[in-house]
Amino acid sequence: MFAALTTRLWFLQVLASEKYRKDANNNQTRTVDVPAPRGRVYDGNGNILVDNRESYVLTVNRQMAGDHEEEIIFQLSKLLGVSPQELASRIEDPRYYVYSPVPVAVDVPLRVVYYVSEYAADFPGVDIARIPVRTYPDGSLAAHVLGYLGQIQPDQLEDPTFAGYEAGDLVGITGVEKVYEHDLVGTEGYVQYRVNSQGQNLGEIGRREPVNGNDVYLTIDVPTQQLTEESLALGMKAARGIVDAATGAYLKANAGAVVVMDPRTGAILALASSPTFDPSTFVKPLTNREYKRRFGHTHNYPLIDRAIYGQYPPGSAYKPFIALSALEQGLVNETQNYACPSTWTAPYNENDPRAVQYPFHNWTTADLGYMTLARALWMSCDTVFYPIGYDYWAIYYPPPWDDGIAGNDNEPAKEPLQKDLMASGFGELTNVDLPFEQAGRVPTAEWKRESHQAHPLAFPGSRWYPGDFVNMSIGQGDTLVTPLQIAQAYSAIMNGGRICVPHVLEEVRTPGGRLVRRNRPRCTDRLPFSQQEIAYVRNALTQVPRVGTAAAAFVNFPFSQVWIAGKTGTAQVGNKQDYSWFAAMTNAQGKEYVVVALVEQGGHGSTTAAPIVRRIVEGLYGLPQSGFFGDSGTD
Amino acid sequence: MDLVAGRAYTAERRPIRHLDPVLLVATAALAIVGLLMVYSSTRTALNALGLDPGVYVKKQAAFLALGVVVVLLMTAFDYRFLKVYAGIIYVASLALLVLVRTPIGSTVRGSQRWFSLFGFQFAPSEVTKLAVIVMLAALLSELRSRELSLSDVYRATAIAALPALLVFLQPDLGTSIVIASVLVGVLVVAGARARQLGVLALMAVVLILGAFQLGLVKDYQIARLTGFFDPQNDPQRTDWNRHQAEIAIGSGGLTGRGYLKGPQTNLDFVPEQHTDFIFTVVGEEFGFVGAIGVLLLFGVLIWRAFRIALLSKDPFGTYVAAGIASMFAIQIFVSVGMTIGIMPITGIPLPFVSYGGSSLLTNCVAVGMLLNVHMRRFT
Repeated sequence: MFAALTTRLWFLQVLASEKYRKDANNNQTRTVDVPAPRGRVYDGNGNILVDNRESYVLTVNRQMAGDHEEEIIFQLSKLLGVSPQELASRIEDPRYYVYSPVPVAVDVPLRVVYYVSEYAADFPGVDIARIPVRTYPDGSLAAHVLGYLGQIQPDQLEDPTFAGYEAGDLVGITGVEKVYEHDLVGTEGYVQYRVNSQGQNLGEIGRREPVNGNDVYLTIDVPTQQLTEESLALGMKAARGIVDAATGAYLKANAGAVVVMDPRTGAILALASSPTFDPSTFVKPLTNREYKRRFGHTHNYPLIDRAIYGQYPPGSAYKPFIALSALEQGLVNETQNYACPSTWTAPYNENDPRAVQYPFHNWTTADLGYMTLARALWMSCDTVFYPIGYDYWAIYYPPPWDDGIAGNDNEPAKEPLQKDLMASGFGELTNVDLPFEQAGRVPTAEWKRESHQAHPLAFPGSRWYPGDFVNMSIGQGDTLVTPLQIAQAYSAIMNGGRICVPHVLEEVRTPGGRLVRRNRPRCTDRLPFSQQEIAYVRNALTQVPRVGTAAAAFVNFPFSQVWIAGKTGTAQVGNKQDYSWFAAMTNAQGKEYVVVALVEQGGHGSTTAAPIVRRIVEGLYGLPQSGFFGDSGTD
Repeated sequence: MDLVAGRAYTAERRPIRHLDPVLLVATAALAIVGLLMVYSSTRTALNALGLDPGVYVKKQAAFLALGVVVVLLMTAFDYRFLKVYAGIIYVASLALLVLVRTPIGSTVRGSQRWFSLFGFQFAPSEVTKLAVIVMLAALLSELRSRELSLSDVYRATAIAALPALLVFLQPDLGTSIVIASVLVGVLVVAGARARQLGVLALMAVVLILGAFQLGLVKDYQIARLTGFFDPQNDPQRTDWNRHQAEIAIGSGGLTGRGYLKGPQTNLDFVPEQHTDFIFTVVGEEFGFVGAIGVLLLFGVLIWRAFRIALLSKDPFGTYVAAGIASMFAIQIFVSVGMTIGIMPITGIPLPFVSYGGSSLLTNCVAVGMLLNVHMRRFT
């Protein structure tokens, strides 16, 4: 008997002692992570956009709950006033592992906190932690810019830039939260306690304070953002009371976007996308069904930032860049008069006798006579631009055409229009500091052939036709742009040709206010046009709101107080109602702005987009608001 | 000539001259170790509650003082009187075991095994162990033949089985095991043959199976056993106790963490660490050296008890000493064994070391009886 005891004691205390000593040390300390509050987000004037608040979050660890899961769900259901089915589906949130705690309720009332702590034994696997969560003092304001947080994704966990993150951590999913994740994220702290066998805290033995994330200051200006969102919403609402002449139905005006930019720097002062969402929704647990219901088709996908993700044909808003390219290439000049009939038909080409001779229509059936290029811009005369487009074909695409494209060996040089458009920022990412930006599209002969080969059904034609240029000349066909690209390009017209990278970041500061870094405007690229050409187009566009296509929307506008130029656009998208564009450049009181509005199915540019822009411009310069009035029906 | 218990002795035969100093010293050393361990194991928990950290150890010291008196009392009369009153002692102990089942007894944590007297708790099952020893010794010392017959074995078994069953029902599995071990120990010393013990073992197996069948074994007892044999499948987490005990002892290493410096003990990780699991404190704070030291003291205790059994001048004394030796041996083995994972967890206190008045006084009575037999080996 004594031999047995002695042998065993020898084993435990001499041979295996190291292991048990380690176990003993682990027994005595409990390390509790202390989450670090993320940095806050401010606008350029120090108005807070995203803050933190403390919230009691109730989590359920399914593995620890084990057999008691149903019982726990039932109990929690009564406490929280949430149906058991709802709780069960929250617990089954597929974003979490079985062994990690799943948050099932946020902002748990104190009554429940006390109850669950008191009867902890009845709630195995249930934990309540006081953690900082995001709060948005202005509600849904600038939601698309700010973005929201979500569970870190498995591929991010493997990404070395996310070293130190753990499964279950919250990271920015979209917007500034995503782009400036590594500035905003804090360093988690911890507290080590000595505990006894009951887990009672016997006192602290060490701690590392959490370090708050750095604060991010945006170029966004809260009053401007409010003005912009309000104007977009009101303008869309007004549009829905207008009958669309083409379809005979009320305009749907079910989505839109506005960008307000400082043309001198590319700083984005306001960026609105409609429909929008409340980012605080993502603070609370969300079931899959709820997610689909709130953010899916029935609500027209409100999470999409249409200003940077939406790709639309620009329509006539593209014409200034066609005109600039044509001036640069010598296809037109500043003084000559060009015919503006109601239709235009491509001339018979003896090299291409099979080409179909069909007419292209102007936006109005009236013959507007002869006009300069400038007038053609402000009257938005399509039939002046069609022959320009055709000339790019006739001059730069010499025969033969049987292989679909000419001059295969030196192709880009033969497409000066596309080259100029791309140099103006179209078809390429602006590299704005917001995620999921789309590049739009400047179609080329090569693109058309390759698209056809890849997707013959979606792109039935493989050959580049004169009609492709004709369509491009008025911003139709396969051309796609984002509202942000339009804002960037008009800013370049406004500032004398500098293409500035659009940005929302002003600077990053420590929680104490010390400057970490300042975002310098980057305007290294230039429009491939001369100052004279740019000034010519800019001057032409000043007539648009005065006597041109937007005149109806700018009745009684105080032109003497505010220098304003702009361009309407009415884009055709499939068999939908027309998409309404207006891009404006303003200068007054020492402040310059570019304001671009797009409303999906908003009709003519002057009908919906131009009044929205006018209201924003009036607000920006403190002018009296003129409100929204009826349809003007011009391009 | 002196008169002791009505007998006349010559000077050299006076019993007091024949005390067993080795036994006394070993016992005293164990009792002192016990006080130290009780203090260490209860100090922090009492402190945390804002109570006097010495309250347990003071109580234990008071019982130890009482225990010294008990030892003196137990040596004051000739142990052979016990043989005369064996029947009365045995029946009285059975009566107490029955009484404790009535509302007079108090229930603590699901077991009804104590009487509350003047704020002290008294467990009659402690008395039962000694009563059984005395009764068995009386029975076996009065056999007509030198040879132990099977019917003698049955009678002895019946004497042990009845109180063992009553104790088991309390439920107090540990004391039942001790009584069974005492029976086996005494029978072996009485010259029981392997065949007779085999029959006994068979009966035990049948009884145990019957107890399971009738649902007399509580769930937690089964859980402790299955937890011991299959630690992976331990729904009630009884294995946690064993694991914490092993951590405490294992982390003590060769020389221990030092007195009052064992974190497992101070942070109360081992359940029942001042009673049944007190050996973990020895192991953690004094290490392998200290643990072996304490085991050596127990070894001395048992060695002296068996020596006394050999030296006794009559069979009654031999059987009493052998029964007590068996009682100590099984208690020590189970109590230490369960803390180091070689025995299943059954609630058995470590003699003289564990906190608990009933247990301490019972063990003092036992040591008193051993001394009595030793002292009077010439008279």
